[in-house]
Amino acid sequence: MAEPIRVVVTGAAGQIAYSLLYSIAKGDVFGKDQPIILILLDIPPMLPVLDGVVMELQDCALPLLREVIPTDKVEVGFKDIDAAILVGSMPRKEGMERKDLLKANVAIFKTQGAALDKYAKKTVKVLVVGNPANTNCLIASKSAPSIPKENFSCLTRLDHNRASSQVAMRCGVSSDKVKNVIIWGNHSSTQYPDVHHAKVNVHGSEMAAYDAVKDESWLRGDFISTVQQRGAAVIKARKLSSAMSAAKAICDHMRDIWFGTKEGEFISMGVNATGNTYGIPEDLIYSFPVEIKNKTWKMVDGLSINDFSRAKMDATAAELVDERDTALAFLSQ
Amino acid sequence: MLVGLLLISGKFQKLSDTSSILGFDTLLNHLTSSAAAEAFRCLRSDLRLLSDKWRRDNRVNMSEPIRVLVTGAAGQIAYSLLFSIAKGDVFGKDQHVILLLLDITPMLPVLEGVVMELQDCALPLLKEIVPTDKEDVAFNDLDVAILVGSMPRREGMERKDLLKANVAIFKSQGAALEKYAKKTVKVLVVGNPANTNCLIAAKSAPSIPKENFSCLTRLDHNRARSQVAMRCGVPATHVKNVIIWGNHSSTQYPDVHHCLVNMSGSELACFEAVKDDAWLNGEFIATVQQRGAAVIKARKLSSAMSAAKAICDHMRDIWMGTAEGEFISMGVYSSGNAYGVPEDLIYSFPVQIKDKSWKIVEGLTINPFSKSKMEATAEELIDERDTAVSFLGV
Repeated sequence: MAEPIRVVVTGAAGQIAYSLLYSIAKGDVFGKDQPIILILLDIPPMLPVLDGVVMELQDCALPLLREVIPTDKVEVGFKDIDAAILVGSMPRKEGMERKDLLKANVAIFKTQGAALDKYAKKTVKVLVVGNPANTNCLIASKSAPSIPKENFSCLTRLDHNRASSQVAMRCGVSSDKVKNVIIWGNHSSTQYPDVHHAKVNVHGSEMAAYDAVKDESWLRGDFISTVQQRGAAVIKARKLSSAMSAAKAICDHMRDIWFGTKEGEFISMGVNATGNTYGIPEDLIYSFPVEIKNKTWKMVDGLSINDFSRAKMDATAAELVDERDTALAFLSQ
Repeated sequence: MLVGLLLISGKFQKLSDTSSILGFDTLLNHLTSSAAAEAFRCLRSDLRLLSDKWRRDNRVNMSEPIRVLVTGAAGQIAYSLLFSIAKGDVFGKDQHVILLLLDITPMLPVLEGVVMELQDCALPLLKEIVPTDKEDVAFNDLDVAILVGSMPRREGMERKDLLKANVAIFKSQGAALEKYAKKTVKVLVVGNPANTNCLIAAKSAPSIPKENFSCLTRLDHNRARSQVAMRCGVPATHVKNVIIWGNHSSTQYPDVHHCLVNMSGSELACFEAVKDDAWLNGEFIATVQQRGAAVIKARKLSSAMSAAKAICDHMRDIWMGTAEGEFISMGVYSSGNAYGVPEDLIYSFPVQIKDKSWKIVEGLTINPFSKSKMEATAEELIDERDTAVSFLGV
């Protein structure tokens, strides 16, 4: 069997991690033959809860889980790691301004970026989930100058899966029959779910999504707002945020990084915009359609962008520029 | 004729592994016309064997989706469980599933959120999701029922009150199984008190074979395995044949007298591998018995993740069978058992499973230490049963 890889999950005592850790330890992300050392990082008050999570992981009797290390120290949390899933972030509290949220999170991701720079392997793949994911990812990346910027990404796969699923339900097919949806931009309400290049397999023949759905006003209207607001809809119903589906998306994202994407298929990831051919401002973490091979992502180039899409892509970029500038101001303080 | 046979053998090569064509090549080398006819007969029977094998291997591709119910579907354990079921971890990577989600009326909005999330998971095997608070919808035509929902113990509640509330639930659900589910339905009871709830459900579904009902002690089984594994410094999968006897409660008896540990390639009896009888007869047992409470104390919530894992293990083993030489623990109907456990209980035994049917492992030696522990947990179950049955008649 292979040498174990070291994987850290932050916010490890929380809801999303609870749904996620089991899938990782089971082999769903890094493969059925890859042993894992799981490092669980959270803040000191959560250490007793973390102990409970460790007990449960032991009780799951999973063959690939070589070791579980609970900790509140970044020097333990990030030591020698191969993969980092940064779920923990400062949640929005009642009365909190967006600026305060950004300030608190800059502090967290600056520290974690620096820890990655100092302790992790230079080959580490970092997936930022904690919101605001794009900007947190950018801060972490800037705070880890010796780790290639390409190693950092943020999660928009949940929105991507939601978009696929909405189209699939509309067409009456299972969700694996829908491919190449795109989420552009920020993992926020300005995200742009774009199906101009999506394909739907209906009864064995592959069609453009617009042809399969046959409802342009839905695809340009309700479909987009449904995907954008799905998170809020789940919170409203469950009274808790979408841990199960978020964990699934994290697994999909990380697994695709590890094993690559299928021929002819692309997926959505928040990645560094520098060098992109779609006119998106540089120096942002922006969600693009990507293909992955040998643990390296490459933006899908040459997709035609109509005026409708252009406007939406620009709007979400503007929000990201604003977030970045606010965050960078805090970074330099 | 020879050419024809060779052509057919060529087709065989494409179908499946040709090692199962039983000396076909040898046959070809010794052909006379009557031998050719004989070869053809062998070929025909080989073809039949191979096509049966192909049909068996691929039957799930050609089968209908199965209907799987989870009760308490808006709750914590279900939240960890539903994803695994929909992903194919229980019934196989090719088995489509229709998930029926039952909970009480006040939980319907939360259930809607769970449905949204399952859709957002984009899982290809999940054909349909049916959230409901109605038994006639939930139990309709079921292949599998996982009864997680039960009345939880509240502050100040006596054990008797808990039993009474749960008898009402499981009597109703047993009757619903009887009325609406397939007679082949496999029922796994998780909601506590699991053993007694299971018995009540079985008694309320008289036309469904009692063997189709079981309760979950796999979590305790996995916990026992894991404790031994950590003590021996091996992965949990190197430990097999632990046994949980009796009630899924603090009187359960984790027994490792027949357990085997794979240490550096050789299989040792657990007592030899651990080399600490005092621990195995003392702290080990207490740790497994009280693990649930320890997790609640740490997490402030009960063990949903590991419970869901155990449910998946239990149900998958029913569906796919157990490995040769291995047995697992399940709460099953005790009538006819060879260990002197009283009849008419749902009691956890070591079982092996084949063709979706379990069989209690017989002939295991039971020393006096084990015997007294097995009897203690049986007594608790008799007491629970008698109290519960008295409520049934009411």
